[in-house]
Amino acid sequence: MEDDIEMQNTVTTGTSESNNAANGGTDDSQRANDWVRIESSDGFSYIVKRKVAQASGTMNNMLDPHGGYAEARTKICTIDERQANLRAPSYRSRRELTDAISRGIVTEKLVEYMCFKSHYQTVGPKEDIPVQEMQERIPPEIVLEVLLAADYQEM
Amino acid sequence: MSRARNNNVRGPTSALTEFLRASGITPTTVARRAATQQGQQQAAAGLSNDDSQQQQDEAGSSSGSRRPSRAASRRGANRRESGYGSDNLDEDDEGNREEDQDENGADEEAVEEPERNSPAPAKKRKLTKAAEAKLKAQEKKKAKGKGKKGSDDEYQDDDDPYTSLSKSMWSSGSKPPVGDFENCAKCEKQFTVTKYTMAANPGPGWLCHVCAKASGKDPFKKPAAPRKRKAPGDKREVVHFVENRLPTLVNLCIKVVTQHIDDVESLGDIGTLNVEAIAKAMAKNRSLTAENAKLFYNTTNSKLVLYDATNLSSPAFESLVYLNPNLTSLRLDFCGQLDDPAFKVFTTSLPALERIELLGPFLVRSPAWKAFIKAHPNLEGFLITQSPRFDLDCLRELVSHCTGLKELRLKEFGKMSDDFLDEIADNLGGQGDSESILEYLDISSPGGESCSDAALVNLLSRIGGSLRCLDVSKHDLLTNAFLLGGLQQHTHSLESEWENPPLVSLDASRNPELQTDALEAIMKHSGTRLESLNINGWKDVEENGLRDIGRQGKEMRKLDVGFCRNMDDFIVKAWLEGEDVKGRKKGGCMELVELKVWGCNRVTANCPKKPGLALHGVESHIIRRT
Repeated sequence: MEDDIEMQNTVTTGTSESNNAANGGTDDSQRANDWVRIESSDGFSYIVKRKVAQASGTMNNMLDPHGGYAEARTKICTIDERQANLRAPSYRSRRELTDAISRGIVTEKLVEYMCFKSHYQTVGPKEDIPVQEMQERIPPEIVLEVLLAADYQEM
Repeated sequence: MSRARNNNVRGPTSALTEFLRASGITPTTVARRAATQQGQQQAAAGLSNDDSQQQQDEAGSSSGSRRPSRAASRRGANRRESGYGSDNLDEDDEGNREEDQDENGADEEAVEEPERNSPAPAKKRKLTKAAEAKLKAQEKKKAKGKGKKGSDDEYQDDDDPYTSLSKSMWSSGSKPPVGDFENCAKCEKQFTVTKYTMAANPGPGWLCHVCAKASGKDPFKKPAAPRKRKAPGDKREVVHFVENRLPTLVNLCIKVVTQHIDDVESLGDIGTLNVEAIAKAMAKNRSLTAENAKLFYNTTNSKLVLYDATNLSSPAFESLVYLNPNLTSLRLDFCGQLDDPAFKVFTTSLPALERIELLGPFLVRSPAWKAFIKAHPNLEGFLITQSPRFDLDCLRELVSHCTGLKELRLKEFGKMSDDFLDEIADNLGGQGDSESILEYLDISSPGGESCSDAALVNLLSRIGGSLRCLDVSKHDLLTNAFLLGGLQQHTHSLESEWENPPLVSLDASRNPELQTDALEAIMKHSGTRLESLNINGWKDVEENGLRDIGRQGKEMRKLDVGFCRNMDDFIVKAWLEGEDVKGRKKGGCMELVELKVWGCNRVTANCPKKPGLALHGVESHIIRRT
């Protein structure tokens, strides 16, 4: 499971920094083994396999080449926590900044859960899934932020 | 496969195996014979069957002594067998027992004594007790296939059957024709050969039915057990989605929150905006419980919204009130468990309450409503959805006590009727000099019959002046007359007497009778200021009427024209871009933010879009995704 992710601390520029954008991602069999990048708002990047990213419904739609979103081309999903709090009724008032800290940590927990989920989705019915272990790995200090982010990401 | 044979499994087989079965030859038979022969020869295994058989015959000269010597050699072979692998100890026992079983005549004691090893006497004692069951136990053990023992079995069987079987074929020849008499090889009795006759284990001869059965290999035995084992194996192929469902991360987080609920500090700081988001996230999963809800309670709260109070019981509601005594605005969705005692606490312990919004408080009875209303004369917002018990009396109390009511919602009420409207009109409506202040009225989805035009017109005539928001959906009997008479009418009267702020928001959805004329009337009346229009369900509105919206509705922000069958791409275009009037673009709904076109078949994916406009309900969008 640990092979699936690498963590880098890069400065996000918002341009299409390619990570293996060699193939256009049109071939289905190639798509399954692609790596995609998940970025948090404070500059942390997580590179995971596409299969792992698909544990999240929102990201699955973002990366879907038929979906028409820009992320499908660049293969970069930005988890901007500020977007997740976009409950403002009017579309005009955008990002309401929240002062919460440690966004990278929250994204890391999300990625951790995604790896956990995509790994255990395929085991047979007899194997035990260490759910309790995963639950214990969520520290209460960030649990509410993780809750909101997870809800936004549909996972 | 050999294991299967031991259990008398009769599956599809080749001609060879059919023959072998008919002759009553099994691998154990063969193996024993082979082992015997090997033991006798003490040499290479590739002997012809005839030779070995002859030697056996020679070893035991007479038929009488044939058996014991065979038994002896067999036992010796068995002892040597056990030398193959130490795990064979049990096999040894059983093998010996089986042979002994074959000769349950009188010869046992006399012959076996000198030949036996020391463990043998013990085995003999066991033998006599569990005579019948042993062989079955042996078969069972072979069925279980205990590791090495099983494999040893197979090795012995695998090595030998192909050679030994051919030997046995030549030696035993074919069965005597069915119907003939034969002497049993064991008990020497005469019996009739049937197709079920089995060959005797040690060498030529045939067993009568009794002896065959005694040896444990009942030819009639049906292979029932293996089939049972196969079926569950098949069932396991099915993937059990439900059993194996991974909890979602949201679920996990909620569990963690519940764990730490008492230690609020540990949960980190949550701003006011986030509280709503968290409440929504928890409500989506219906995981708000009496425990979790404490997260949102705070004595300084003035506003509390719980989007899903399904799991809150009556005592939980009481504690909700006690812990949030300073509420001014309370909204509880799906509060089905809210009953009279709990509501009493609402009545007594929420002094500052000005606005209450409840969805689904069907347990609260009329007296309780009355008490509540009496206790809160300052109520400005009374929004209740779904209550079959709120009756005219309660309404009377409401309108007489709470004169400052600005928002009234009596949605999906079982007892809604014209009388209600009259009451409202009489008490909340302005008469003479006084103005009405009712701004929001929602009386949609009545439980019984829809209210009539007349009553509604009457109502509107009284309160129309201040009304900013009107929802009369699902009153099926309303017709054009209502709009022409009601909306236009009251404006007419209003115009003459006081200010006429046009409706800002009109929701008249699902009134299929209302048509183009009505729409035109609306637009003419308040079109220029209308910001939100919902004519969902007005299926017969014509194109012209729809275009009219574009012409007049300059301030339109939200439009719901679902199921207006005449809606199509061109109209959308006209709305978004304005229409060509003498070469210049004019009109259009420039402020449009949200457009819902559910059920409008003619709006396709090609309809024009504008950045900032949220377009919901285009059919082709939905179909493409799946």
